[in-house]
Amino acid sequence: MTVPTVPHQSARSAAGGLIDRSRPLRFRFDGRDFTGFAGDTLASALVANGVRLLGRSFKYHRPRGLLSAGPEEPNALVELRGGDRREPNTRATVAELFDGLEATSQNRWPSLGFDLLAVNRLLGPAFAAGFYYKTFMWPASFWERVYEPMIRRAAGLGRIATGPDPDSYEKAFAFCDLLVVGAGPAGLTAALAAARAGLRVLLAEEDFRPGGRLLGETRRVDGVGGADWVGRQVAELASLPNVRVMLRTSVFGSYDHGTFGAIERVNDHVPVPPPFEPRQRLWRIVARRCVLATGAIERPLLFADNDLPGVMLAGAARCYANRFAALAGRRVVVFADNDDAWRTAGDLGALGAEVVAVVDPRPLTHRPALPAGVEAITGTVRRALGGRSVRAVEVVGNGDVRRLDCDLVAMSGGWMPTLHLASHQGARPRWDEGRARFAPGSVPPGMGIAGAANGDFTTRAALASGAEAAVAAATALGRRAGQPPLPEVEPESDAHAPLWAVPASRRKCFVDFQNDVTVADVELAGREGFRSPELAKRYTTLGMATDQGKTANLNALALLAADRGQPIAATGTTTYRPPYVPVAIAALAGPHRGPDFRPTRLTAAHGWAVEQGAVFMEAGAWLRAQYFPQAGEPSWLESMTREVNATRRAVGVCDVSTLGKIDVQGPDACEFIERLYANGMRTLAVGRARYGIMLREDGMVLDDGTVSRLAEQRYLVTTTTANAVAVFQHMQLCHQVHWPTLDVQFVSVSDQWAQFSVAGPRSRDLLRTVVAPDHDLSNEALPFMAVAAVRLVDGTRARLFRISFSGEHAYEIAVPARAADGCIRALMRAGGPLGAAAYGLEALGAMRIEKGHVAGNELNGQTSAHDLGLGRLLSTKKDYIGAVMARRGALTDPARPRLVGFAPVDRSQRLGAGAHFVPVGAAGNAADDQGFMTSAAYSPTLGHWIGLGLLARGPERIGERVVALDLVRNRRVEVEVCNPAFVDPNGDRLRG
Amino acid sequence: MARGHDSLPAPGRGGRAGAEPGLIVRECAGLALASVLARRGALERASMAVRTAFGVDLPLAPRAADGRGVTFIWSGPAQWIAEFPAPVDVETVLAAALGDAAAICDQSHSRLVIDVTGPRVREVLAKGVPVDLHPDAFEVGDVAVTSAHHVGLQLRQLSVAPAYRLSVPRSYAGSFWTWLEHSAAEFGYEVLPSAGGQG
Repeated sequence: MTVPTVPHQSARSAAGGLIDRSRPLRFRFDGRDFTGFAGDTLASALVANGVRLLGRSFKYHRPRGLLSAGPEEPNALVELRGGDRREPNTRATVAELFDGLEATSQNRWPSLGFDLLAVNRLLGPAFAAGFYYKTFMWPASFWERVYEPMIRRAAGLGRIATGPDPDSYEKAFAFCDLLVVGAGPAGLTAALAAARAGLRVLLAEEDFRPGGRLLGETRRVDGVGGADWVGRQVAELASLPNVRVMLRTSVFGSYDHGTFGAIERVNDHVPVPPPFEPRQRLWRIVARRCVLATGAIERPLLFADNDLPGVMLAGAARCYANRFAALAGRRVVVFADNDDAWRTAGDLGALGAEVVAVVDPRPLTHRPALPAGVEAITGTVRRALGGRSVRAVEVVGNGDVRRLDCDLVAMSGGWMPTLHLASHQGARPRWDEGRARFAPGSVPPGMGIAGAANGDFTTRAALASGAEAAVAAATALGRRAGQPPLPEVEPESDAHAPLWAVPASRRKCFVDFQNDVTVADVELAGREGFRSPELAKRYTTLGMATDQGKTANLNALALLAADRGQPIAATGTTTYRPPYVPVAIAALAGPHRGPDFRPTRLTAAHGWAVEQGAVFMEAGAWLRAQYFPQAGEPSWLESMTREVNATRRAVGVCDVSTLGKIDVQGPDACEFIERLYANGMRTLAVGRARYGIMLREDGMVLDDGTVSRLAEQRYLVTTTTANAVAVFQHMQLCHQVHWPTLDVQFVSVSDQWAQFSVAGPRSRDLLRTVVAPDHDLSNEALPFMAVAAVRLVDGTRARLFRISFSGEHAYEIAVPARAADGCIRALMRAGGPLGAAAYGLEALGAMRIEKGHVAGNELNGQTSAHDLGLGRLLSTKKDYIGAVMARRGALTDPARPRLVGFAPVDRSQRLGAGAHFVPVGAAGNAADDQGFMTSAAYSPTLGHWIGLGLLARGPERIGERVVALDLVRNRRVEVEVCNPAFVDPNGDRLRG
Repeated sequence: MARGHDSLPAPGRGGRAGAEPGLIVRECAGLALASVLARRGALERASMAVRTAFGVDLPLAPRAADGRGVTFIWSGPAQWIAEFPAPVDVETVLAAALGDAAAICDQSHSRLVIDVTGPRVREVLAKGVPVDLHPDAFEVGDVAVTSAHHVGLQLRQLSVAPAYRLSVPRSYAGSFWTWLEHSAAEFGYEVLPSAGGQG
């Protein structure tokens, strides 16, 4: 048996780099096995293995390799991991290598090397700017079935996993005096200076290794190598208790009041997170001050076929060489318009690359030093040549055109400060023509900018501005901070004269690599009138890919400016918006998924209901017992029927603890209640309860419930389960804003009290067994709508309300929550011989529909008291919330849909809520609509389905027939309009 | 005892095993709680009455004040939670002291009250509590009326150790524990047998 050979890391130099050669890591890319080392990214390991082709482009399926070595990467997007952990569109440049990593290239079919869809390149004109709006317009019928699926397949990015994510995600909060974003030379200096001044410092770094550009360069700081200097700073930071360094953490958004969003990749660098650990953690960071030390992104240059694999940013080529000891090419041409990039020749040459030439359009009198044998050409690269990767470039210089063979073009159009976080609150960056860079237009309060992000491109300047920013932050917070001594750094030049000109060519020259937007596309947008950057962006899709155009935007602006013949500063910019880097939806959801999407409320007797085998349903935030199935009951219908019959014939017990309960006290409690409720409450005597309705200010019904007067200055009001919070808020608004002079205090007691409905002809007999014998429960002592404080036989203090929702002789008994379990068990134990049944929401609903009581379905925010048959309750003797608006003619118009009952003419037919009422014989168009069924239930008492609904002129049409048309369930049932009180309309049972 | 839906699970360790649990949690059973809401314009009277009866000033900021046999915990402008370490008829006791200076309402059964401590307690709480609990910002006796995992939460610091007392509505106790357990799992946690109110 043969063991597959693992390719040698052919492009890795024998020594150097910030990698751990003692820890080789195996990984797989597109089915091939490779090795890298600890400290590699997926990208650097692929470079070390000589892999140059990493993906195919979005529209034209052109071969693409690495452009960058950082978070700005537009090309090297891969699917990482497999199965349900598969993660599309991951940038290989920021994916930390781990043993067993599996990655797959995207957007190619059937394989990366041989991609059939590359034929799109021949259809190039069809995919020009605005192609969505042009090419696929005709015929219109082709859009859904032909064009869109075709575009989707061709333009697909990675595939997401389809199963549930097996990993967990968290959210967390952090607070600090100073947030430093970026641990490069400026960030490290700022963090340390602030920490020494005693500030609580949080230093967030996107990379798994702090150091920023110092890791990718050969600069010496303070007499030691850059990485060693970084190590010293990090060691001191680690020794300080007031510093927290967060690696693998991208600050992706800047929000009001010093709030920042950050994503910590806790376990993205291991195949599977260890037990109990999240994959990623979403941070909300609140910082009193902030220093952006986010560095800069290098600008690509524009020339024909500048997207060929092997055409790379110069800084990236140096990073792969210096940090990862990997050569991105053997034969190198540097093409740059600035001094910084000239160092590429020396750095790559030191690792054994042959540097052919440095091509720079600037007429230089003092050229930066170059290694022996490297030619300096004053000129430009016009075109890259090659098939699947670059083989040569055409250079225009000194009056002639030359062809230089090479396998790596290291290009640089200078560095663009990374100012995204400074712009997230709306301030657009401002173009500084003199220094040829963007500067923040205005900085959010409390934010300072340091290092390359501030345009301080040399190490010395970066260190100095980092220190300055820290001192400014400390001073602003009232701390004294000393200006730290700056370390020695060898002199550098950041001289730069930006090259904007683009060589004339019929070949493609890419501005936005990820969205395949070319120079021609941007120019076309200009010709077609989309000259504003915001319009050009949307028309061409430039900057709208997952990289948000980090490498593309400036070049596009320069093109638009040239097209308009005006400076960049006058052309404007688009705004950066959060997030700076893609953030997984799973991280945003955190632990709030599945049943934990939001918290669930459980009543105090929930455990008892579980023991009874109750089937539960969600009711708002609550889980409530829907019904209590017993042996031989095949469905909810049989269980509900038994529960209703037991209640109507003997006694039923239901947990109604979910109702909102508000304790109202104070000398003005009566006045407060009187103004809140639409019906008269002033005459309510102590020891009595009354049904009441509250209106909104617009006159619509807000909620209903009962008001019980517990003492002269103390009331208990109940709300529906659904509206408990809304009613409490309404009361707070009324008290705090409308009537602040009322001396009234109220507080929710919903969680303090559990409450059980005990309903049915034997309800008094049942209560007799649990209420202490000295309490008189007779009709005389405790009539309908009476309230009493009682003790149970075990001494528990309880409240007894003789109120009824079921229409039966009924009570509600309230006990402190910890007594709920004992109380329900005592009731059910004693109820056995009486034929008692526990009933759930189905039976509760059926019985209230039988009685014609309104509930949430009818109190839907669109119904007036008149609509619900409650108009007579509206007091004419007092003012109350909603009084004036409720008198509007439109709300009392008898033609409005109003509450009535419905029964199917053929009693065997089933009714469903949501059915619309149309005249018998009508087609059932919208024009025929006369209202709709709000509630429906099977009535065990009547033996057929019944419903409540809102029907135009309903109360005037009792006895008429209409059709209940249910287009969702495809039912058409002829129904009879009837009195909504189907059972005991005179209320004899209530009082009996 | 199996895990209740409105109490902590049975005593024992959970989450990552290790020498020392990162979070130690214990239910404070048997507390007596009441809402105390000053009547309009009666703040001074209420404060005087509390000082006389319990030897402590009502806190006017998010703080807790320990009096004789009772702690007054700020819960909003002119309102407090009075916490007694053992069951007592709170409405009677407080009404006797405050008279008509405040509205009193028994809340003894309305909350799950737990004490949390341990070397990683701040990191655990940071996963849901949007309050800066660093010692520079939050001290012993400080109180926060806030939320965690969309559950209303009252929190106060009991000791420098640090230890905190958390109180959530009883009906949310199960969901709150789900969050706390998940948040503490990576550090390991231990549930202690429930105790009276003296944290």
